[in-house]
Amino acid sequence: MRPENYQAISHPPSNEYELNFGPNHPGIEGNYALKVKLHGDVVVAARADGGYLHRGFEKLMEGRLWIQNIALVPRICVPDPVPMEVCYSMAVETLNDMEVPERAQWLRVLQLELSRIAAHLFTFGGHAATTGMYTTMYWGVADRDLILDLFEEWTGGRVYHIYNIPGGVRRDIPEGFLDRVSHTMDYIESRLPDYDNLFFTNQVFVDRAKDTGPMNQQQALEWGVTGPNLRATGLAFDVRRDDPYLVYDQIDFEIPTEAPGDAWARTLVRRQELMQSIHIVRQIVEKLPSVGGPVRTPIPNPLAWNVPAGETYTRVESSKGELGYYVVSDGSDKPYRVHIRGPSSMHAVRVLEQLSLGARLEDVAQIMFSLDACPPEVDR
Amino acid sequence: MKEIDIPIEASVGQSRTNPLARVFDELVRFCRSRSMFMLHYCTGCGAIELPPAMTSRFDMERLGIQPMVTPRQADILLITGYVSIKTLKRVILTYEQMGSPKYVIGICSCTVNGGMYWQSYATAKQLDQYLPVDLYIAGCMPRPEAVLEGMRKLMDRIRSDEADGWKDYYRRYDWYLGNQQHLFGDDWQTPADVIGEASHYDLAGPGTEGEHTRLLQQCQKPLEPQQTFFQIGGSLEKKGEFHE
Ligand code: SF4
Repeated sequence: MRPENYQAISHPPSNEYELNFGPNHPGIEGNYALKVKLHGDVVVAARADGGYLHRGFEKLMEGRLWIQNIALVPRICVPDPVPMEVCYSMAVETLNDMEVPERAQWLRVLQLELSRIAAHLFTFGGHAATTGMYTTMYWGVADRDLILDLFEEWTGGRVYHIYNIPGGVRRDIPEGFLDRVSHTMDYIESRLPDYDNLFFTNQVFVDRAKDTGPMNQQQALEWGVTGPNLRATGLAFDVRRDDPYLVYDQIDFEIPTEAPGDAWARTLVRRQELMQSIHIVRQIVEKLPSVGGPVRTPIPNPLAWNVPAGETYTRVESSKGELGYYVVSDGSDKPYRVHIRGPSSMHAVRVLEQLSLGARLEDVAQIMFSLDACPPEVDR
Repeated sequence: MKEIDIPIEASVGQSRTNPLARVFDELVRFCRSRSMFMLHYCTGCGAIELPPAMTSRFDMERLGIQPMVTPRQADILLITGYVSIKTLKRVILTYEQMGSPKYVIGICSCTVNGGMYWQSYATAKQLDQYLPVDLYIAGCMPRPEAVLEGMRKLMDRIRSDEADGWKDYYRRYDWYLGNQQHLFGDDWQTPADVIGEASHYDLAGPGTEGEHTRLLQQCQKPLEPQQTFFQIGGSLEKKGEFHE
């Protein structure tokens, strides 16, 4: 606006006012917005305002072949795309009554866990940045890049892999890949004490995150909270253990929980989950050479592939929480209806609105990052 | 208010004949290309490759590019991926707030032709119909190296005075506005006075005004304070107590 066009608008004096927080705001996660009403700097009302990233996924998927949708699904959640592919593939396999070779199942789990580590490192970085600790962000993003390098060697893509297809995975791992995986795991594990010193036990972080955005277990269950956010309220629910898919029943891992349910607990749960994921990856690296066989069950001509009529719901544990696909087929070459149960749509809308009440404005960004909401998946 | 004479960008309009002025222009463009602030607005999924490009591994800062949080101090507007129609309105508002000279980079195939979402009902397919795009970085999504290479290209173009998309927006405002009205409806308006700016920069041409700008003037309403959004929602203290 040019200065001569500016007319001052007079407001009645008030200590209550409304602010638009986002979408073009450095504190908000992605392209997402909140309308907040403030009293001083305390939030007294908040309303989530999404839709900036809406692409109409569920409608787009109805117009594409079963196999084409594989390229579409990872775009739903950008920081953690692998669970999307796996979950969709599992749904199509269930509809087809298809067996997945054992080696492919182990490879999928390896990919899921690597993706979880990458997503958690990214979240730590984002959360630290909202409390003013930019060094952790630089470290988190740089260490995540090591995992993206592994993905790139393995599948050809850094972020989107399009690697899991109905019936298995696209190809086997390259030679010597497992050594590089364990090397990277060793490196990331050796970095964790540094992260602890810099971030997790840092007094700045502890003071700001403790008692910020608390929720108790009953609220969490009522609001449909899943994943690390639910485990931070003390309930050890994890789809990987309670409804095992792939080969998770043959893997030994623990489910970390914390009781307080505030931003600090949510981040600590992720920190411990990172350790568990490294532990799982090590087991897979040990086990994989002894599992032979093909990595894919052949599927008929994918361009004219009619999936039998029926409906199914499959779910996996993504780094954000429970992710489910409800897929209906009417026996044609395209899905009849796909519904995605994303964890973030619960976390970023209702829960974020509730937890922001009574928080100070500078903590709203922190609450959003501690919930690890993923805006593209909210809007779809 | 007293009129302030803001110096007009040197090379606008007629070409300079004074050799000293030309040297000066070149120096200005060189300096401008070496220190750019990029707006921190992540519009689509390509934004996930920006943190690696900005942080220690690829490090954009060594090219002199830094993220900036407000549009008014930014030089580059990055459109990182698909823009849904709701986002596109905000993007245009943001673009018109930025001070000239300003540059738009379209990252990702989705800004070029719609990419993966070519049949989506919610996204705008071709970004250059609504904003003047100086540079496209194609790919789904482009790697950080590609982003850096694109930035280098933009720097070269700024130095050789080819990155003049912002002038194009003033010269052909009517066309851009027509496309925007086609998408958002006839009553679309922004607080910026683009025609006034165009004549200020001496860039008003035959395409600046036309049928669409006339439509804009017909539908234009004076700016009003926004209605408060929250009808309910209690206050923590009673009103007035705060002052006592
Ligand atoms: S081009 Fe690909 S990565 Fe970029 S916004 Fe489009 S779908 Fe996302």
